[in-house]
Amino acid sequence: MANEVVMFKKIFKKLKEVELKEKGFEKRYPLKRVSAFEKKEEFKKIFLEQGERNLELMQKIPNRAKNMAYFDEIWKLEKRVKEIEDFRKAGGKVIGTFCNFVPEELIYAAGCLPIRICAGFYETIEIAEEILAKDICPLIKSSFGFKLVELPYFSLCDLVIIPTSCDGKKKLGEILSDYLEVWPLELPNTKDSSQSKEFWFQEIKIFKKRLEKLSGNEITFSKLKKAIELCHLRQVVFHRFDEIRQSTNPLISGRDALLVTQVSFFDDLRRWTEKTKKLCQELTENIKKNLGIYPAQTPRLLLTGSPIIWPNYKFLNIIEEFGGIVVGDTFCSGTQHLYNPVEIDEWVMEEMLKAIAERYLLPSICPCFIESNDRIDNLLQMVKDFKIDGVIYHQLRLCQLYDLEFYKVKQILNRENIPLLRIQTDYSQEDIEQIKTRVEAFLEMIKSKKYEFY
Amino acid sequence: MNSIEKKSQIVAGIDVGSAMTKVAILETKEIIAQAMSPTLADPRLAVKLALEKALQEVNLSQNDLGFIVTTGYGRRAVEFGNQVITEITANAKGARFLGSPLGQVRTVIDLGAQDSKVIKLNENGEVIDFIMNEKCAAGTGRFLEVMAKTLDIKFEDLGEFSLKSKNPVKINATCTVFAESEVISLIVQKKKREDILAGLHHVIAKKIADLARAVTPKEVVFFDGGGAKNIGIKRSLEEELGLKIYVPEEPQFVIALGAALIASELLHANARS
Repeated sequence: MANEVVMFKKIFKKLKEVELKEKGFEKRYPLKRVSAFEKKEEFKKIFLEQGERNLELMQKIPNRAKNMAYFDEIWKLEKRVKEIEDFRKAGGKVIGTFCNFVPEELIYAAGCLPIRICAGFYETIEIAEEILAKDICPLIKSSFGFKLVELPYFSLCDLVIIPTSCDGKKKLGEILSDYLEVWPLELPNTKDSSQSKEFWFQEIKIFKKRLEKLSGNEITFSKLKKAIELCHLRQVVFHRFDEIRQSTNPLISGRDALLVTQVSFFDDLRRWTEKTKKLCQELTENIKKNLGIYPAQTPRLLLTGSPIIWPNYKFLNIIEEFGGIVVGDTFCSGTQHLYNPVEIDEWVMEEMLKAIAERYLLPSICPCFIESNDRIDNLLQMVKDFKIDGVIYHQLRLCQLYDLEFYKVKQILNRENIPLLRIQTDYSQEDIEQIKTRVEAFLEMIKSKKYEFY
Repeated sequence: MNSIEKKSQIVAGIDVGSAMTKVAILETKEIIAQAMSPTLADPRLAVKLALEKALQEVNLSQNDLGFIVTTGYGRRAVEFGNQVITEITANAKGARFLGSPLGQVRTVIDLGAQDSKVIKLNENGEVIDFIMNEKCAAGTGRFLEVMAKTLDIKFEDLGEFSLKSKNPVKINATCTVFAESEVISLIVQKKKREDILAGLHHVIAKKIADLARAVTPKEVVFFDGGGAKNIGIKRSLEEELGLKIYVPEEPQFVIALGAALIASELLHANARS
């Protein structure tokens, strides 16, 4: 083992001498672009309507925090789109990201703006299917459709960074490269071997260099330190937010919590931190005033599995409108997005970069890695911390990785006597009735267990 | 007994299924009347007809009912119900109440017109897991209904007819539409109808057994829903699962019964509080 490490170090040293290669897509066989630009206004309208329909339900929740008002507005494109357009006019670069692996600290340090463009919008799927295979997950199709229609925020991106976290994402990168500049970010298949860490560290270093070239700004020690500190502050606030959700008196719905988290995908970093801090203060006050949103005996659910993304909250709406509350999730589009801060031991450039690389690799519970143990640890810990009554496994159809991990998760949760429901669905509305029956039955099952009823 | 007391004892469970609407009326946990009516395109009308029929049997009117629980696919289409419950909870309740002479019920399999489901119960009869078929009609009553038409055999006779088979045909398709064309080509090949039918029963039983395996079913299996009246399915299912299966006398009323039992519990809980 030790020998292997020495060997790899040697190899990487050599590689460094050769100069690290920037990965991208050659324009050897460029294809003609497909555009559905004419649908832009129509789709934008539908997008806003879908969001409004969610909000209508969410705003009816009693004792809802007043500080949600900011989040209720900011997703409506107009204000934030204008800000980002101004940022671009002033020469700023906007970088679209997928998944949970792209170091935002580096992007901010280069003076660029990261926006996560994973999408949860049904309407853009059909258009994307003209190009992408039908049998791939809705998230990829929906996100690609945003580019074809030129809807924000994808339409505002100067380039896109796609981690190689599943087969769909890998190929999406190449297809997208006909439309705009795409940088693949290559992930190792394991997280904790020294080879993997070293490999990933090199990826991060190349990424830094490319960002500097793109922006014309050198990522200096002080700029990076400042970016790390800013993101760290956001994470601290998020931790407080997460902690509040552990309260046995439910203070915030799962829908509100996820909306807050997902606004961070595109919002101004400082403003988001400030607004969420205020929200936390209000929620803390509400604990003292005993202002719960649902009865304390409401079944407490933990969501795991494939990401749920605004405005596709159909599943969350069903759960919470039928008497459950989502108090936690393990989604990469939820808690995982903001939970882990960069931890610095020593403030020197090399160490900072290492810490960044580690933050985006080690805590990940994405099923793209060969082992699922960390995810199961995380689940069991959350079941304890959040006093969970039942786990719901949200499975986006055609997401094989989450499908494959289900068996093990089920066996472990069964062993621990934790009720589990799997829902296989996509972004369409056609299975709502079936989902309702399953969710309602699951809630009845939990209630009868909790209160010996029925 | 005066009328107020009498009313407080009588409850109804209404199961609005996708094909049939079933009503069970209980008086102090005794079934006093049952009736059903096709749901068709108007669940509200079906509920009205089935309820009237059941009430007429015992000379009662809707006003005599102390509590009504609705369940099934159209459970929210009934405006006058006091409580809505899912068919999973109602089914478990009904099966637990009826029990089985073969031993304690630990698994319930329900074969309805549009869905099939498997419910797992613990030693106390509580629901600990359940699974339902995906959104297509493979492995449901509708599948058999289509095949009955294609083979020109009465739906009620399917099970018995299939038992005549000595040489079941292997059917490959589980999709209702594909299976129909497969059956037509088998008819063209002059295969015997009972052999085709036996093959179809086997396919559907396999589909349900696959679903059941996801919750690791235990004996005794309580088999209900309209589909449980089909002896061919019961036999094939026993073979597939290798478990003892019990079919109650009137399998299509188990869910309505369960809903009625919950109604009577809720009535008493409300009276206490």
